[in-house]
Amino acid sequence: MDLFSARVVDNEEIMPSTHVLTLEAARAARSASPGQFLHIRCGDGLSPLIRRPMSIFRTDGTLLQVMIRNVGEGSSWIVRRQAGDMLDCLGPLGRGFRVSPQARNLLLVGGGYGVAPLVGLAERALARRANVSLAVGAAASELIFPASLIPEEVEYLVATDDGSAGYRGFVTDLIPERLVWADAVYACGPLAMMAALARIMRDLAPRKPAQVAMEERMGCAMGVCLGCCIESTRGPLRVCTEGPVFDIRQIVWREEAAAIGTRGPGVGGHG
Amino acid sequence: MRLPPPDPQPDLRVEIGRNAKLPLTLRNPVMVASGTFGYGTEYARLIDVQRLGAIVSKGITLHPRRGNRGPRVVETPAGMLNAIGLQNVGIHKLVSDKAPVWAQWDVPVIVNIAGDSIEEFAYMADQLEGVPGISGIELNISCPNVWEGGRVVAEDAETTAAITEAVRLRTGLPLLVKISPQVADIVSVARAAEDGGADAVSLINTFVGMRIDTRTARPVLANVTGGLSGPAIFPLTLWLVYLVSQHVGVPVVGVGGVASLNDALELMLAGASAVQVGTATFVDPGTSLRILDGLREAIRSRGCASVGDLTGLAHPSRRAARAAR
Repeated sequence: MDLFSARVVDNEEIMPSTHVLTLEAARAARSASPGQFLHIRCGDGLSPLIRRPMSIFRTDGTLLQVMIRNVGEGSSWIVRRQAGDMLDCLGPLGRGFRVSPQARNLLLVGGGYGVAPLVGLAERALARRANVSLAVGAAASELIFPASLIPEEVEYLVATDDGSAGYRGFVTDLIPERLVWADAVYACGPLAMMAALARIMRDLAPRKPAQVAMEERMGCAMGVCLGCCIESTRGPLRVCTEGPVFDIRQIVWREEAAAIGTRGPGVGGHG
Repeated sequence: MRLPPPDPQPDLRVEIGRNAKLPLTLRNPVMVASGTFGYGTEYARLIDVQRLGAIVSKGITLHPRRGNRGPRVVETPAGMLNAIGLQNVGIHKLVSDKAPVWAQWDVPVIVNIAGDSIEEFAYMADQLEGVPGISGIELNISCPNVWEGGRVVAEDAETTAAITEAVRLRTGLPLLVKISPQVADIVSVARAAEDGGADAVSLINTFVGMRIDTRTARPVLANVTGGLSGPAIFPLTLWLVYLVSQHVGVPVVGVGGVASLNDALELMLAGASAVQVGTATFVDPGTSLRILDGLREAIRSRGCASVGDLTGLAHPSRRAARAAR
């Protein structure tokens, strides 16, 4: 973990309002693991003030990619960066996904922009010859993560609320029939999706390893401000430090989770 | 030919608790504020925390607290609101687990304590007495996030004096009292702290505020209200330091929105003897050390011998004295 200045080498809008920024960041790229994040400063002034936590999308040699959804003042500043610009970054931060070497079949579940940390996870798994199935859900086809950015060896399953691509319905509807195949489940997405997944795991596969990448508004991302704590069975835990990846059974899924929880990708923030 | 002697290093030391049993001499006036630096260990991976004047630890209560539900923080223009709700490990764990680490450090650690009664404040001070690694106590009589409706513990002079006196009787450690800006008469509250035996007053804690999510028509913070910090509140801090420091004899520690060397200098000119950097650390973890490095140079370039020479230079009495020269 470092405080560093990274040069932007590419900025591509891969979906409406969703960008992948490629950064030259050798140390961070080498040490990062899927599920970790960077805390990125948005400008050098006092507003927006607080850094934004952004999920690490992929790493490749000395390059590190972050996926940014343009949802507010901070993220809109970041997505306007062009090749050659510098970004003030803190990271890699947090605990990423923990994959047992014995896990042969990995089921990945992404909602909306929650695909971000799962692509890097899929690549790592393929590199050690595991089988990967990635199920992704979104409101409509134009919000589905482009298949061209996902390794060919990954089985890519799509669900849309309106049926404009793939299965019509929730991505979690696709999970039960694949649970026999899967050795472990990894998810990132809206709270309602992850809460639904938690119920499925509890009912159908209570002992199967399952992890979720959580998001919450953050202040410091260093574990001091306690701004990003979520309720767990062990009391409050910091998304920035004990997370963002947690065992799905550790999280206390609140009743109102279904009503809220459409906030953006990865570790979340102030927009 | 003899060369002129090299510029002496300016004296950055600040004494807190001249009359305490265990006075504390800070090596420099740049501290980090309670709640923004954890227990000191977290940022040690990024910066040399040993160079700081002092670390004020996360507010501690008698029993461990789970804090409020989330969301607990939200950004505001040039600031942020927090409603953590004093989540902490409790004083016994602080003494058993954290203090032994601090005892190995050069940098003094001041423990911020928050009680919910006079007796509890006094009991907590007792627990810290003689513990290696603890160099001072900051009384948190001003946290806005644990009482219904954003109320703070001590809103009046009488309660402030009573809490301060009770703790003073139990501790030989330097005693700072952190005061809320949202009291009817902040001068009388600060004087009450001084009369009660405080060695310094920390001005100020956060201002109560809120934000509403316009899509859901709900307050953003689960606690509804939170404490506003960050550069947005700096002019308010500055004014209250300027005001109060003309009415108390003990050192004033300026805290609230400090983000730059210039902010620190303004606070000192307004009457602060030391400053605490808070939210700015989240934005740039190097802020406090950069202020420290800049301060040394700024004092030298003004021809001052010590940091204390800056304190209160902007006060009317000092301005008049300079005009008369």
